[in-house]
Amino acid sequence: MTIKTLGAVLVAAAVLAASLPAGAQGPIRVGASMSLTGTYAKLGNYQHEGYKLCAKQINDKGGLLGRKVEFVVYDDQSTPATAVRLYEKLITEDKVDALMGPYSSPVTEASANVTEKYKKVMVTPLAATTSIFKKGRKYIFMVISPAEVYLEGLVDMAAKRGLKTVAVVYEDTLFAKASAVGAVDLAKKRGMEVVFQEGYPKGNQDFSGMLTKIKAANPDVLAASTYFDDAIAITRQMKELNVNPKMYGVTVGGDLPEFYNLLKQNAEYITGATQWEAALPYPGNTEFAGAYKKEFGREPVYHSAAGYAGCTVWAEAVRRAGSLDSEKVRETLLKLDTKTAFGGFKVDADGFQTAHKMVTTQWQDGKKVIVWPDELATGKLRFPTPPWNQR
Amino acid sequence: MNVAITPAMVGQVVISGILAGALYSMVALGLALIFGVMRVINIAHGPLLMLGAYTTFFLHSLFGLNPYLSVPVTMAVLFVVGVVLQRTLVFRVVDAPELSSLLLTFGISIGLVNLAQLAFTSDLRAVEYLTGSFPLGPFAVSKPRLVAFVFAAGVTGLAFLFLRGTRLGKAIRATSQSREVAMVCGVDVQRVHMLTFGFASALAAAGGALIAVIVAIQPEMGQIWTFKSFLVIVLGGAGNYPGALLGGMLLGLVEQGAALFLTTQLSEVVAYVLLVVVLLVRPTGLLGGRQT
Amino acid sequence: MLLAALAVYPALGTGYGVRAMLQIFMWIALAGSWNLISGLTGYVSFGHVAFFGAGAYTGAILVAKADWPWLAAALAGGVGACAVALVIGYPCLRLKGPYFAIAMLGLNEVLRALVSYFEGLTGGGSGLSLPTLHATVPIYYAMAATAGGVTLLTYAIITSRFGLRLMTIREDELAAEAMGIDTARHKLYAFLLSAVGPGIAGALAARDQGYIEPVSVFPLATTITMIVMVLFGGKGTVWGPVLGAVALFVAQEFVWARFPYVHQLLFGAIIVAVVLLMPRGVLGILQIRYRLPRTI
Repeated sequence: MTIKTLGAVLVAAAVLAASLPAGAQGPIRVGASMSLTGTYAKLGNYQHEGYKLCAKQINDKGGLLGRKVEFVVYDDQSTPATAVRLYEKLITEDKVDALMGPYSSPVTEASANVTEKYKKVMVTPLAATTSIFKKGRKYIFMVISPAEVYLEGLVDMAAKRGLKTVAVVYEDTLFAKASAVGAVDLAKKRGMEVVFQEGYPKGNQDFSGMLTKIKAANPDVLAASTYFDDAIAITRQMKELNVNPKMYGVTVGGDLPEFYNLLKQNAEYITGATQWEAALPYPGNTEFAGAYKKEFGREPVYHSAAGYAGCTVWAEAVRRAGSLDSEKVRETLLKLDTKTAFGGFKVDADGFQTAHKMVTTQWQDGKKVIVWPDELATGKLRFPTPPWNQR
Repeated sequence: MNVAITPAMVGQVVISGILAGALYSMVALGLALIFGVMRVINIAHGPLLMLGAYTTFFLHSLFGLNPYLSVPVTMAVLFVVGVVLQRTLVFRVVDAPELSSLLLTFGISIGLVNLAQLAFTSDLRAVEYLTGSFPLGPFAVSKPRLVAFVFAAGVTGLAFLFLRGTRLGKAIRATSQSREVAMVCGVDVQRVHMLTFGFASALAAAGGALIAVIVAIQPEMGQIWTFKSFLVIVLGGAGNYPGALLGGMLLGLVEQGAALFLTTQLSEVVAYVLLVVVLLVRPTGLLGGRQT
Repeated sequence: MLLAALAVYPALGTGYGVRAMLQIFMWIALAGSWNLISGLTGYVSFGHVAFFGAGAYTGAILVAKADWPWLAAALAGGVGACAVALVIGYPCLRLKGPYFAIAMLGLNEVLRALVSYFEGLTGGGSGLSLPTLHATVPIYYAMAATAGGVTLLTYAIITSRFGLRLMTIREDELAAEAMGIDTARHKLYAFLLSAVGPGIAGALAARDQGYIEPVSVFPLATTITMIVMVLFGGKGTVWGPVLGAVALFVAQEFVWARFPYVHQLLFGAIIVAVVLLMPRGVLGILQIRYRLPRTI
């Protein structure tokens, strides 16, 4: 019996301590579960910095609806189950005034079930998987372009140059796979033949078996739907096995400055897909990049810019709605058609992003050059890719 | 997908498998030593390899030391780390049931990974020193992996000479045969345990130093090596040191072969199924080891 | 009284409170089940999360592909996990000591990889998404019943002749055999029983969360957490897993919110401390000091 009582006391203590009273008319409290540690820690922290910069700028300009904006952030360790609990906590215990999305598609997929249950608007700046938004959810809003178009630039440029065959590889997770499937569809539509397609498990380090098969299939184009470490490993092992497609592009990772720092001249000619670049002529973009560097001492990446833009768009909707009421903010967001430092924002009736455009970059002499689409390009694609020992 | 398998591809994969296998053998030899001598399954073996990789990275980036010349330095550093871990924590579970040693070394493993995360951040690092391949007929032989193979073979060879030829090596082998007999013969078993753990950590560190040139370095890179080392020592026979060599080669070839003939996804499954089958059919390993 | 408090809690507590309690019940079911095989027979199941994952996928597939109601799917999750346990346990329980532990570790990885591979059924690495269902409160009761069931089962076994035989195996398997105990059959029964709780809990958790993926339902860390909970509370006891689950979950939830960058480090330190300082667990220590009955 004593054990039972002890258990009950512990539980009671936990529940009491967790339910601290929430302030009534202080700052606007915006809750978010963030991947501060775990697999997505690196990119999750970039997103978090985007949120922080956005809040700081709103507050410097006198706040939102006359109130300061303050983020309440918990660490979900990059796991969906923890994020679900944290959103429940933000909504029912902390009683935050608004929510912003977590990092990554899997975590968003699970968290959205909670926010929908409470009919809370959540702008999700870093969920790119179409299916999340196409299952009848009403209160989530997409900011970035969908996973399916990450490799559109690579495929389009290849098709224009008359390339015929493509190999597609991907990390077997929600987002990366969706982007690979998108690439296969796009390639088929452009009359290209997909000669090889294979997934690999998350955390895989050895790609030599897969690359041996790709070498034998001898595709004109290799499209890799990656996160970051896998993009590095695949590239290095391509060189080790002397796999030499005419074009080779990755998705996430290829745009990060670390990609070049780690691979040096071996990153030359490789294309990366990105949602955003500091060089893009969007309103307030230069100012954003400058302010970010000043605040955090490092260059922003697209994850930072997306987080920043998601928060900016949400604030704009609140301002126009004149209220934090979930229904009113939702109506406003559905009608909103704007351009931020991150590019266009307009969603369809499902909250699915339709205005934002992706760009494709290529490493040229250590610099990242935007090579696609033509209207935003800062340079021309270097093509074809020479053998490894001539890069 | 439908790529016809040609003999050239099989040859390529055999080369990759052998090159990888030598590294597996060397790293797993460390795990085998600890298990043989102390009956401890060291889950922190992979994280020790990770520390080795970071040591080489910092020696290279801060002091410009050639990564291959750093191998002995890195081994020495991790030898000390291993000895300290053994003296402070691991010695307490040497005679405890396997649950204690599994959990304790898992706790150490979490500790090392997270300390590395705090100290070095989770940013990827790389030692960009030797890349690419040279052609050998229809095959491409990876330069960094070939050098790693040569080093791993050398270090493993030296380790065996040490085990066979020196007093300490003989004491280690005697202790893993039978601790009681070793004690009767005047072997300082405590000291042997301590040095074995240091020696095993040094072998993991050598692996870390060599793959630092091949893959990107990050705090969580080690875990997968713990698993692979398990596979190797089970295949070769736990506590059977030459068995670790065979097990390493076999694992390298099986992984590569499965990735070629099946898919990258299934290559993991095949390796683990092989583990379980070997355990069931021949629990003493392919070369035969000692059953507890 | 405690039961009554737990029964009315969903009406009084916040959504988060309910979800946190649900998690505690889940951990009680998991830790209690690990205790059934490893605490009683001494066979260290180092891949016990495999049954949680097997249950989660069995339940989720039945919900997603066959439209089963969640309660039926949860029970099926228990059956599914049990089936996996039969396939694994029959051959593997012959292995002794560390070999069994490693085999379980490997089999968990096999299961995870297979789930990723058969994507037609499981959604592969992209995971399986279930239709939205707002049933956290009914699932709370189901999870509470699972936790209660596992604890009652533990009590029933420990006080039975079956339990005594299991503990004889733990102390000395050869002696047990010499006494005429059919050790293989006893171990297998204990193993099967230890898979049911995690199976049901997995299916319930999957239904409540609405989305599962292989990486997040088969993590080694979950197995370790179960083990540490049991060890902290006292292995081989009835209430040890309950105590351990409550204490560790509460501790983690506090640390989590406040120290994101060091909580893993603290978890590592807790593991080391439990192993070195209190291998018998809180109840084990109390049992010896106060001569408490074996059946607490």
